[in-house]
Amino acid sequence: MARRGFKKFMNKRSPSTFKIQITSMVDMFVILLVFLLKSYSTSPVQLTPSKDMTLPASTSMKDPTDVLKLQVSKTAIFVEDKKVMDLKDGVVDVKDVDQNDTQFLRTLYTELDGQANKSRTIASKNEEMEFDGKVILQADRALPYELLKKVMYTSMMAGYSDVKIAVLLKD
Amino acid sequence: MRRSFGQRVEDSTFELNLAPMLDIIVSIVPMLLMSIAFVHITVVDTPVPQAVEKAMAAADNKKDQVQILLAVSKETGFRFTINEKGETHDVNVPLKGTDLDLVALHKETIELKKKYPDVFRVELNPEEKVPLEQIVLTMDQLRTIAKDESKVTFTDVDSGKSIETNLVFPDVVFGNVTGG
Repeated sequence: MARRGFKKFMNKRSPSTFKIQITSMVDMFVILLVFLLKSYSTSPVQLTPSKDMTLPASTSMKDPTDVLKLQVSKTAIFVEDKKVMDLKDGVVDVKDVDQNDTQFLRTLYTELDGQANKSRTIASKNEEMEFDGKVILQADRALPYELLKKVMYTSMMAGYSDVKIAVLLKD
Repeated sequence: MRRSFGQRVEDSTFELNLAPMLDIIVSIVPMLLMSIAFVHITVVDTPVPQAVEKAMAAADNKKDQVQILLAVSKETGFRFTINEKGETHDVNVPLKGTDLDLVALHKETIELKKKYPDVFRVELNPEEKVPLEQIVLTMDQLRTIAKDESKVTFTDVDSGKSIETNLVFPDVVFGNVTGG
């Protein structure tokens, strides 16, 4: 008797399989896809400025190439994400400046020279590689030319004389 | 057995299978998320003048070349120095209030280009206090014209034909990095 009752209950019960309504989900994904395609970057190099840095805006449309990256914020100078020098609100510490040449930043030069030597060694062994002395300078827009001049002068001394300033594309 | 009209209408409706479409979208979304750029970063070329030897060699080759220098000062504004056949003359663009007058600078740049269409280089000499933002804005004014402005014309050396371009002085270099 009990078995018959259970069978009746199972028959009356709604089926356990069901269909998910995915139309709205597809709608949502299509919107997301359009947004992502709009902000898709084809540039081979992705530059990410550090948090405490605001890049200047420019109308220049030239895409960056894969070269040495030099970051100058108000608090520090980085070479390829490695902190090289500390700055105090955009001012270089006296100990980092060469006494005979006030434009020359010795600590930065040592790092850049090491990078240049590394690139030259690779270029000498691999014909496809070439040391062209190019460097992308990412600097805060509020920094004075006094500091940038020192950085550019030092990079030029290390062999990096083709400086490219990273900017935000103005709409 | 004939089928009724109502039956036929009922048969023609169907449910679109969206699952494969969703599969494709779900595969594309992570790939796009990886290569997304919320800010578009570009670069401005600013080659530092090379060593003295090169500069001397270039100067020998371009004895008759007109040289245009632009000094940028937060106190006095812009000052063009044009060096033509050994003679120099200045063109001043004073401050607008306390700010650098970029509009007037651009107008003066266009005038200079009309006067010297074969010159493409400007040596920029900013003062030490000038912030990078002002330097980049100055370079923008020197390099290109706006969309609504009439294009710059110059004569091509090889073909001798007149060429229109939106570049004014595309070769902007820092002149005082190595010097004073």
